[in-house]
Amino acid sequence: MIRFERVVARYPRAARAAVDDISFAAPPAQITAVVGPNGSGKSTLVRALLGMLPLVSGTIRVDGLDGATRDRRAFARRVAVVTQRESLVFPMPVREYVALGRYPHEGSWHAAGVEDERAVDNAVKLAGILPFALRSTEELSGGEWQRVRIARALAQCAPALVLDEPTTFLDIAHEMAMFELFTRLARGGTAVLLVSHQLNLVARIADRIVLLHQGRVAAAGTPNEVMRAAVLEPVYDWPLVVTRDPAVGAPALLPLRGSSH
Amino acid sequence: MASSAFVSWRALAHGHLLPGTVPFVRCARAVPVLALCVVACRAASPRRDAMSADDFGEPVARGSAATPSRIVSLMPATTELLFAIGAGPRVVGRTPWDLWSDSARRVADVGVGLRPNIEAVLAQRPDLVLLYATGENRAAAQALRAAGVAVMALRIDRLEDFRRAARLIGMAIGDSARAATVVDSVDHTLARVRSRTAGLPRPTVFWHVWDAPIITIARGSFLDELLTIAGGRNIYEDLSQPSPQVSLEDVVRRDPDVILAGPEGAARIRASATWRAVRAVREGHVLVVDTSLIGHPSVRMGEAATVLAHLLHPGVMQ
Amino acid sequence: MKRASFWVLAVAILAVLMILGVSWGTVSLTPRAVLAALAGRGDRNAIEIVRALRLPRVALAALVGAGLGVSGAALQGSLRNALAEPYLLGVSGGAAVGAVIGVALGFSSAVALPLFAFAGAAAAIATAILIARAAGGRADPRVLLMAGVIIGAFANAAIMVVLSGAPANTMRSALWWMMGSAAGADWPQVAWLAGYTVLAGGALLWFARDIDILALGEESATALGVDAERAGRRVFLVSSLLAAATVAAAGLVGFVGLVVPHLVRAAGIRRHRALLPGAALAGAALVVLADLVARVAHPPAELPLGAVTALVGVPFFLVQLRRLS
Repeated sequence: MIRFERVVARYPRAARAAVDDISFAAPPAQITAVVGPNGSGKSTLVRALLGMLPLVSGTIRVDGLDGATRDRRAFARRVAVVTQRESLVFPMPVREYVALGRYPHEGSWHAAGVEDERAVDNAVKLAGILPFALRSTEELSGGEWQRVRIARALAQCAPALVLDEPTTFLDIAHEMAMFELFTRLARGGTAVLLVSHQLNLVARIADRIVLLHQGRVAAAGTPNEVMRAAVLEPVYDWPLVVTRDPAVGAPALLPLRGSSH
Repeated sequence: MASSAFVSWRALAHGHLLPGTVPFVRCARAVPVLALCVVACRAASPRRDAMSADDFGEPVARGSAATPSRIVSLMPATTELLFAIGAGPRVVGRTPWDLWSDSARRVADVGVGLRPNIEAVLAQRPDLVLLYATGENRAAAQALRAAGVAVMALRIDRLEDFRRAARLIGMAIGDSARAATVVDSVDHTLARVRSRTAGLPRPTVFWHVWDAPIITIARGSFLDELLTIAGGRNIYEDLSQPSPQVSLEDVVRRDPDVILAGPEGAARIRASATWRAVRAVREGHVLVVDTSLIGHPSVRMGEAATVLAHLLHPGVMQ
Repeated sequence: MKRASFWVLAVAILAVLMILGVSWGTVSLTPRAVLAALAGRGDRNAIEIVRALRLPRVALAALVGAGLGVSGAALQGSLRNALAEPYLLGVSGGAAVGAVIGVALGFSSAVALPLFAFAGAAAAIATAILIARAAGGRADPRVLLMAGVIIGAFANAAIMVVLSGAPANTMRSALWWMMGSAAGADWPQVAWLAGYTVLAGGALLWFARDIDILALGEESATALGVDAERAGRRVFLVSSLLAAATVAAAGLVGFVGLVVPHLVRAAGIRRHRALLPGAALAGAALVVLADLVARVAHPPAELPLGAVTALVGVPFFLVQLRRLS
């Protein structure tokens, strides 16, 4: 369970708090989505969760452990985070890369044990990267690389998983496969926190949506509660209508052409 | 102890280095030592045998009409020579290393003699400048001539160079007779030393100039000649440069009987673990030479040879 | 190349080069004479040459190479910079300034000097990182490198200013030292450098997994449970200490820290737990070879060690730079 409580965070030298008084929780066995326009504070929340941005006030806890803890490894055992971007300066074999996810579980000499091997095998399988597990990371396409990164997070075997725009570089098929995977993980008990700007996709799989606007929670609730034109229009500052996804019946957002201003 | 590289750093810190008087081969551009001129690169100009040309091949004006009265001498060898032939009062500029004789110390110091400071030289309003003939001084010679000052560039590395320089300088200042007397006196002393050491066993000698890197004296230097006259044999007499860089391993192989070094160098050698690889060091045959006396190919070479002979063959000069 | 064969090959090459380093030199000795000398028999001068001059010298060269290789590998990994190495980052230059100051203050032992060199090295790398950050280019390896080059130039200038009043021979020694040399190695010095190398190298080996993670970048490293700032600082301080100890022992020897880690990675070794020892072996081999070249290229004179490594390193650097852009 990831719990944000009255979180206020500000970048150094910034006049305004980047996130201001945010409270919500991502419970186990659910997908919680954080959405919002650019600059609404989505990625700031992730940085704050990682302890890279000190909080002005409030707390972020994962299974009771405060995100400000000095014991980063203990924290990493509770939550795995796939950051928005990552590039490797020194390429390595895919499997070796995935095994880096075992870091928080390793002993002080960091020798890989049977359990580590099993976790890596499992992560490779879950993320569907078995076909290129023996390749080098420099030979991967953007989509493959993204899945390999998710596999590394899965190898962390944390009860909570945070994904910051995980499908940005994926085509439709791979994107959908990823969302299927997140759904499976949630069914398996993982607390999934999905940060995304793709409202329509999120609306189909998320159990709850937290809508951010200018660093504050503009709305929070089920997709049906949040995906309403009256809620979204002021946040996105654009005329839009909400319809139904013909396939699954989830709410879907349709931006209109032309400005009302 | 640290490497020999650090020995030099330490010496720097304690401010007791060789006085910069021992010649060595061409070094970094920044090197501010006149003495270095003494043996700098031999790449300069073809040497003229003609009595009337200096070592840049420029004509030397014959005295009388315009006998120079204000001379800047940019190397210790010529400064010593000028004072020895009685032209001391005409010397108006010298380098920081021209400290003999005592009266020379009272002459204005115009800075280094290699790539000299032209302004400082001209400030002395000289009518003759003596400088070391090396490629690095060519520009300075031209600049001084352009300013209307007579320049005599001389490369004084070996005994013969000294004799020739004395003749040219004597001619230029209009006192060839006294110049010849000074040369004769040096030659006379050298001959005396040579005759005393003739027939004596000749110890092999390593001449230690510097140790990071290791610099020694070879055939191109007057010091090699003095060593021979004094009854020694330089282990590097086969190398043609004046002061080559060598490796310690090679010194061990050449196995000198004696090591000659300045006071600081001798102390460092005796304290060093690596130098103990040389037999002469283990056997305690590290002899100290007075670098301020022996450093320059000039009027005191007779005295220097006498001192060397005495070091190598104690009592021989009595 | 298979990884196992890398280790066999690296050890074999190092062993061969060390044997050559003891057998060859300005003075040519027959293998029989070398063996006899090692055993303490035969010609006294040969014994001295082999045991008092060549053995400590080869040992020092190997340690300098190992230290620079490990330091370079650790810096490249933790700074995520394929061009990072102590010399190019100005770390060595800073160490040189530190050593000069140490000497000027009257500390000249093989024990204390590395500490002064270390202070200079740490100041240099901290400044380089600050400059790179201020230029907003931590992500661009070339910015950090530029900062390092500037600091190296500043260090050279500082040394020249300090020495400007010194006699010519001192200046010459300074220039000689700044080009690096293993000449004049003796056993106490080898022992001290070995101590620093084992301590700092061991510490870096202890941090090896952290370096693996740091190489992913700050955010990912944090997500995996590494305090990126603290771990990064630790790694670059220890790497600087290691580089500084080599500078105190043998002056500025450039490009070893750049070349060596890439060679080892090319052999398929990526994890720093293996990469660091691999870089130690390859670095030792490279510098023993370079020192051998320095000794035999132009007898009886010796070339500066740094000049030999630069001849190898600069073309390699250009290849790496090209790959970056």
